[in-house]
Amino acid sequence: MKPDDKKVRNIGISAHIDSGKTTLTERILYYTKRIHAMHDVKGKDGVGATMDSMELEKERGITIASAATYCEWKGYEINIIDTPGHVDFTIEVERSLRVLDGAVLVLCAVGGVQSQSITVDQQMKRYKVPCIAFVNKCDRNGANPFRVINQLKTKLGHNAVAMQIPIGLETQTEGVVDLATMKALYFDGEMGEVIRAEEIPQSLLEEAKAKREELIEAASLFSDELTEAVLEERGITAQLLYSALRKGTLKREITPVFMGSAYKNKGVQPLLDGVTYLLPCPSEVQNVALDMEKNEEPVVLANDSEKPVVALAFKLEDGKYGQLTYIRVYQGTVAKGSTIVNVRNGKKVKVGRVVRMHADQMEDVEQLPAGYIGALFGIECSSGDTFVSPGVHLTMTSMFVPKPVISLAIVPKDNKSQMAMAKALNRFSKEDPTFKTYVDPETSETIIEGMGELHLDIYVERMKREYNAEVTTGNPRVAYRETITQRADFNYTHKKQTGGAGQFGRIAGYIEPVSDDEFVFVNEIFGGAIPTQYIPACEKGFRQSMAKGPKLEFPITGVKVVINDGASHPVDSSDMAFQAAARGAFREAYLRAKPVIHEPIMKVVVETPPEFQGAVMGLLNQRRGMIIGSQDEGVMCVIEAQVPLAEMFGFSTVLRSATQGKAQFTMEFALYRQVPQSIAEKIALEVAQNKKSAA
Amino acid sequence: MLNKEINYRNPLVGLGYETEDILPDGGFGAVMAHAGVGKTALLVQMGLNTMLRDKKVLHVSLHDAVSKVDVWYHELFQNIAHNFNDAAVKEYWENIQPRRFIMIFKEENFSVPKLEERLTELMEQNIFKPHTMIIDGFKFDEIGRKPLAHLKELAGKRAIRIWFTVHAHRHEERAPNELPVWFLHVADLFEVIVELAAENDGVFIKAIKGGTPADFQTSLHLDPSTMLVKGSK
Repeated sequence: MKPDDKKVRNIGISAHIDSGKTTLTERILYYTKRIHAMHDVKGKDGVGATMDSMELEKERGITIASAATYCEWKGYEINIIDTPGHVDFTIEVERSLRVLDGAVLVLCAVGGVQSQSITVDQQMKRYKVPCIAFVNKCDRNGANPFRVINQLKTKLGHNAVAMQIPIGLETQTEGVVDLATMKALYFDGEMGEVIRAEEIPQSLLEEAKAKREELIEAASLFSDELTEAVLEERGITAQLLYSALRKGTLKREITPVFMGSAYKNKGVQPLLDGVTYLLPCPSEVQNVALDMEKNEEPVVLANDSEKPVVALAFKLEDGKYGQLTYIRVYQGTVAKGSTIVNVRNGKKVKVGRVVRMHADQMEDVEQLPAGYIGALFGIECSSGDTFVSPGVHLTMTSMFVPKPVISLAIVPKDNKSQMAMAKALNRFSKEDPTFKTYVDPETSETIIEGMGELHLDIYVERMKREYNAEVTTGNPRVAYRETITQRADFNYTHKKQTGGAGQFGRIAGYIEPVSDDEFVFVNEIFGGAIPTQYIPACEKGFRQSMAKGPKLEFPITGVKVVINDGASHPVDSSDMAFQAAARGAFREAYLRAKPVIHEPIMKVVVETPPEFQGAVMGLLNQRRGMIIGSQDEGVMCVIEAQVPLAEMFGFSTVLRSATQGKAQFTMEFALYRQVPQSIAEKIALEVAQNKKSAA
Repeated sequence: MLNKEINYRNPLVGLGYETEDILPDGGFGAVMAHAGVGKTALLVQMGLNTMLRDKKVLHVSLHDAVSKVDVWYHELFQNIAHNFNDAAVKEYWENIQPRRFIMIFKEENFSVPKLEERLTELMEQNIFKPHTMIIDGFKFDEIGRKPLAHLKELAGKRAIRIWFTVHAHRHEERAPNELPVWFLHVADLFEVIVELAAENDGVFIKAIKGGTPADFQTSLHLDPSTMLVKGSK
C-alpha cells in the first residue's frame, strides 16, 4: 500500500444511458493493463446495456460495472466507482457520488447534454464533486463536440472549455490536438495503445491556436502566474496551464472538456492524464460527518490515517466467500484485525480480510488508510452504514430515502426458486434502500416495492440470472395513499364488559389535514381527563390507524390528531383500552374529514426529434399528463411533464412506436397529488373487486 | 381570498385598467426596461393573474430553461401567498399550474413560423389553448416588422393577447413619445406599452402607451426584493 494520497484518485464515470460509459470504462481498464482484451457492449437500449454488462461480467469474471475497480496510470492509483446509468437507481448514483472525489461526465457527441446528464449534474453539484467532461462518440454521424461544449454552458451552466480539438470527425476521426502541449495525438496499434505525437496539421493550426487562446483566457482567472505570463507574452507551459485549470476544476468553476471515441480507441489515454492532472486527491476534498452526540452537528473529517476511523459502506456484493462490503475510509485506518463499530446498530465488528478490487482479481491488503477504497469480507451490514472506531459517534450524512411508489407481487415457480428468491430479496433490500420487500398478510404473496417499473423489472431479471430464481409477476400496483381534506371532531368511548376485567377509555378531539408531515399528534389535555400514562397508548392507537384507511385500505398520510378531552376508569382503563378507543375515534372522524386518494406523480422527460413533438405531447396528454414545458434544442426537443405513475405502464413501447424509436424518456418520482374523482371511483371499484377475489 | 390578494397586487390593475383583460383579442402589450430591472418578474405576475382568472398562459422564453421559468412562477406565487397556510397554497398551486405551459426556444432557433407550428399542434390536439401569451427575450431590433405583423395576425386569428419584454438600453436615443428610436418601427402594433424604471428606493412602473390620461399621473411602486406591487407613488 502506497501511503501517498496525492497520487490517489477516486473517480466516478457518470453518463446518460448509451453514452458509452461501459465502453469507456473497459478501454480505461485495458490501457491501464487491468484487462487484456476488449469486447463490445451488445445491447443498445438502456435495459439491454445494463443487463449485457452484467452478463459480460459474469461470463468473463471481471468487474466492468463493479462498485469500485482499481487501476494504475503513470504512477497514480485510480479507483473507478460505478455510477448506475438509469434514473430509477438514483439513490445508488447519489451514494456513489458521496464516495468519489471527482467525476468524468461522459457525453455523446451527437446527443449532447441529455436529460439524464442534467440529473446527474445536479447530483454532482449537490455533493460538490469536481468534474471533467469527455465528449464520446466523435466517430458517429452528426458528431459535434463544440455543440456539446456549448450545451454544457447553456444547459448545465458549466464554464466548459475544450482541452482538445478533434482531428477529423465522424468516419474521419483520427485523433485529437492537445491544446495544452499543442501536439497532434494519434492512436496507433491494433487497440489504439500506441500514442504518436506529431506537429499539428496545417489545416487545423489556426483553429487550434484560437481554441488554445480561449483555454488560456479561461484558465488565467485561477492563476496570477498564468495571467502574468500572458501579459508578459512569455511562453506558457502545459504544466502552468494544467495547474491553473486544476485550481478552477477543484472549485467547480471550470470544466475541462476532453474528446474522442472510446469505441474507436481514440482519446482515452489523454483523458486518463486529465484525471490525474485535474481531479482532486482525497485530502483536497472536504468530507463532513454528523455528530450523533451533538444533535447531528456537522463535523469536518480530517483525511488523516492516525485519527479514529470513519468509513462508509457504500455497496454490497455477493462474492464467492460471502458478502463483500465496499468501503470508503474517510478518516483513520481500517486494518485487518482491528475492531470497528456499525453506528446504525452499535454492533462491534472485527475486521477480517481486507481487499482491494482489481478488475479481474482481488488483492489482500493489511489496511486501508484514509482516502482509500477497498472491500471487507464477512461483515454483516447494509448499504449506507457508517463504521467508526469504538467511542466515536459520527455518521456520514444521512440521505433522504424516498418511499417506494410501485409494487409488484411475485410468485416463485417452484421450491428451489422459492429458496433462491428469498436469498436474492434479502441481498437486494440490503443493497438498495429504495427496494423493499414484504409478505402481504392477506394474500400471502411476496410483494416487492421500488421506484419505477424498470427498477423492479431489473431486479426480477437479476433474480433469474444471478440466483436462478424463476418467478412470475403480477400486475404492477401503484402505491396510492389516502389523506383527509378537512377538520373533523371525534368523541369516542370504548367500553367493553364481557366478564373479567372490563375495558374503558374515552377520547375526544379532532383530526385535521397537515401538509408537510405524515402524522402529528398533539396532546392538549389539561387536568388529567386522560391520565398521563395512557397518552402514549392513545398516540399508538392513532398511529396504527394510519397504516390502512378504513375503506380503501391505502396508507394514510398528512393527518394531525389533537386530543383535548376524555375520560378514564380507575379499574377498567388500560393501555389496550385507550389504543382501542383511539382506533375507534379515528374511524369515527376519518370519513367525516372527507378523505381523498393521492397518487404518485412522476416527472417524465422525453427527448424527441422536433417532428414528433406534437405526437409525444399527445401521448403524454392522453395519460393525464400535465406538460410543464417544451424546450427546442434544434436537433432535439425536450418535453417535461408530470404524469401519474398509474398511466405510465408500457409507455416505452408506445413511445417507441410513435417516434420510430427515435425518442427516449426518463422518469423519476416527483410528488403525490390528489386523484380526480372519476379515477378515484375506478380505484375504489378495483379495490372492492380485489377484496372479493381474495376472499 | 388568495384571488383577491393577487388581484390587489397586480400592478396593471392599479394603473387604471379596470377591465379584466388589459389587452383585447389579438392585442400586443410590452413591458420595457433596462436589464435586471424586473421585466420577467412583472410579466410572470401578470401570467399568474391570468391563471388565477382560470385562463391559460403560454410562456415563451428565448433565454431561460423550463425549470428556471417554473421557479419564477413558483416563487412569485409563494411571495404573494405567504400569508396563507401551506396546505391551502399547495392545493391552489396544483390547481392553477395546469393553466400554464412553458415553451423554450433557443434565440438562434426561434422564428415566428416555428412558434406558429408549435402553437397549432397544441391547440389542434386540444392539449393547450392559451388565452394569453408571454414572449420573453424577443429581439425587436433584429427580427424586423414583418414577422411581428404576422404574429399579430396569428394572435388575432387565435384570439390570443401577447405580452412582450422589451430590453431598453441606457444612453439610447429616445423619440418624443419616450420610446427608443429602434422600437418605433413596430410601436404601432402595440396597444399597451409600460416602462419599468429603477429609482433609489425601488422599481416604478408607468404607462407609455394605452390606458386613460389619468393613468399617466400614477406610477406604481414595486418592491425590488419580491417584485410585487407595494403601492402608488
